[in-house]
Amino acid sequence: MTAATGAPVRHRTPRATSAVPLNAARLLRVELRRNAMPWILPLIAALFWFDSYRPSTGTAPLYGLRTFWNLGQGHTIIDFGPFVAGVAAWMGSRDGRRGLADLVTATARPRWAAQLATWAATAIWAVAAYLLFAGVMFAMYAHQGVGGTPPWWWVAVGATAVAAFSAAGFAIGAYWPSRFAAPVAAFIGFLAMAVSTQTGFKHTSGWALILPANASGSFDGSARTDSGMFYPWLPDLPIARIMFLAGIAIAALGLTGLSARAGGQWLRRAAAVVTLAGVAAAGTAVGLAGTARDSGHGVVIPALHDAANDVPITYTPACGRAAGVPVCLNPAYRRWLPDMTAALAPVLAEVAGLPGAPVRATQVAAAYPSGDGGPPQAITLGGDPPVLRMSLGLLNMPGPCGLCAPVATKQFADQLRLLFAHAFAGAGNGSGSPVQQAVQAALLRGAGMPFAAQPGLMAATENFPGPGPGLATGPVYAAARRLAALPVAARHAWLAAHLAALRAGRLTLEELP
Amino acid sequence: MNVEISDVTRRFGRTQAVAGVTLETGRGVFGLLGPNGAGKTTLLRMTATIIPPSSGRVRLLGRDPGGYGPRREIRRRLGYLPQSLGYYPGFTVAEFVEYFALLKEMPPGRVPQAVATAIELVDLGGRARAKLRTLSGGMLRRAGIAQAIVNEPELLLLDEPTAGLDPEQRVAFRALLRDLGERATVIVSTHLVEDIGAACGEVALMDAGKIVFQGTPDELATRGEGTGAAGDAPLERGYSAVLAAARSATAAA
Repeated sequence: MTAATGAPVRHRTPRATSAVPLNAARLLRVELRRNAMPWILPLIAALFWFDSYRPSTGTAPLYGLRTFWNLGQGHTIIDFGPFVAGVAAWMGSRDGRRGLADLVTATARPRWAAQLATWAATAIWAVAAYLLFAGVMFAMYAHQGVGGTPPWWWVAVGATAVAAFSAAGFAIGAYWPSRFAAPVAAFIGFLAMAVSTQTGFKHTSGWALILPANASGSFDGSARTDSGMFYPWLPDLPIARIMFLAGIAIAALGLTGLSARAGGQWLRRAAAVVTLAGVAAAGTAVGLAGTARDSGHGVVIPALHDAANDVPITYTPACGRAAGVPVCLNPAYRRWLPDMTAALAPVLAEVAGLPGAPVRATQVAAAYPSGDGGPPQAITLGGDPPVLRMSLGLLNMPGPCGLCAPVATKQFADQLRLLFAHAFAGAGNGSGSPVQQAVQAALLRGAGMPFAAQPGLMAATENFPGPGPGLATGPVYAAARRLAALPVAARHAWLAAHLAALRAGRLTLEELP
Repeated sequence: MNVEISDVTRRFGRTQAVAGVTLETGRGVFGLLGPNGAGKTTLLRMTATIIPPSSGRVRLLGRDPGGYGPRREIRRRLGYLPQSLGYYPGFTVAEFVEYFALLKEMPPGRVPQAVATAIELVDLGGRARAKLRTLSGGMLRRAGIAQAIVNEPELLLLDEPTAGLDPEQRVAFRALLRDLGERATVIVSTHLVEDIGAACGEVALMDAGKIVFQGTPDELATRGEGTGAAGDAPLERGYSAVLAAARSATAAA
């Protein structure tokens, strides 16, 4: 130790008010450098990889599907939340655990302000890591050619959730400066996520939509894979969730300022106001979620909805030809264009030249729910001239399928042909009249599908309204065999003459040739 | 007077830790002696504005610490080393001292130099980048002293500052204390009477929450002369004699 006699004489250094922000910034820098959060990030990264990223790659390369698991059902939040809450509690309890409470209290900076700097550093690390991991995940998706646009609003929800977990954990640590605060906070965080997920299974609408790991798929409502392709991702529900989570974060941080040591009376009053504001924000968000309704392209919250988000996204379609008929898809589906043209070519060839045959096939947004009681139709035929409209968002495209078995190209082609024949016969949302079913069967047979395989195909096709599994026998298949046995020219001539009556459901099996 | 304490008491539940203490001191090094449980640390914590008195009046640096604004002003001019110094094991010495300089709201531009100077004063310049967890107990104590003096306090409160210091460091620290006492009020609570004798211009002896002696170290030493009190040095004998007298007076009452 050196006697100060040799040291330069220094004078008291008055505090400059303008220096406060710089002072806080330097404090934050020290806190960032010595924060415990980076130590847990490798573990979270591993969890993120195995729980959020890896399972998502088993789905079709569309943002709506890839991110349904990790952002929609909140797995990214589940991976981060409990650990972030635990580490934040560790940091929040630091001064008390380390026996520094007296020393910190005896300094000029209000204790609350010092705590906020510690929390801010903790949250910055956690949120930055979340954004980095999500960014890397999206970069990998982009590298894999995932179609559509990333759901940035949902990334923002995740980032806010991470901040909320850090604030809540920090408050637990600040009020309970014990080495057990961290595991307890982590467990509470895990419990909150479990409750959120389970509640989502039971409550698929209303207030429960506010829960950040709601498992119901409130991600994009009925829009399914079409969000970010045909319509922008609706920000309504994300905004409500951000409000809810930010409210929790603000309330938790406000709570840390209520203790007697936090600062002066005015500061504690301010903390009380902040706490109430946070509670009010969270409560308002819950109320807003209660007014949510499912629109055709996402979850709409009337008070938050901006009509500008209902405007479809303009795009240049990816087009090919099947039996001379143009087939155009959303560019997000470009990779499946060869599958589509190959699947449609035989059935389009079957009806080529007929007056009701489609002049083009085009992909449209999923028309779910159908509104007339039947299951949603992936393929419809209508208009003048007739256009085949394909809601591919309702189908499992060839390739990986997430939790379902991978879809083979032939399986997909058969399903598409079935749906086409069903639409061409005018069977609509039901299984169709017997004569419509017979024509459907004959068309499929003409496209190369044996009668015997057709009942199985109908059973296996998602949302197909036709009869269930059985044998290709009975009056319908007998009539279908008669029609299929006709020469192509005769079959075409009959269809040309009777197509309107067929679609109107006015024919009987006996009237088939 | 930088410290004006008038008839201050402090209770913790049914326990009265400080009972009617009156104390005034200005610039210089003031020693606070007393046995364990005498109330020294509680008195120091009140003087450090960490806890308020249960009754009585405290004025520090001409301000009433009861109000938040004045208390904050006092804290900007305060240095405090608690008896049991906690620390952040992952911080380096420089970061630890810088951290408290910032908490004391020093002008940011002056912090780096002030940190370097404080670390040099406690002879930790060579370990400025060492993590606190790697330091010995004595070094940690010196790091604690560095954070206490980094803001050039007008009021410096040191609770057992020499605990854990080796004799060489203790001698150097006493010199530092004397120097600091020339421009600030330094209150040192200690068990070690030799620290008092070497560094303090004035000393108070506490027992059972009360000040039972206040005077110069020489006056305290004089109290022990011819009493047969236990001790190897005059100050120790004075200490023992005053305590014995105080306790017998209490018992008689």
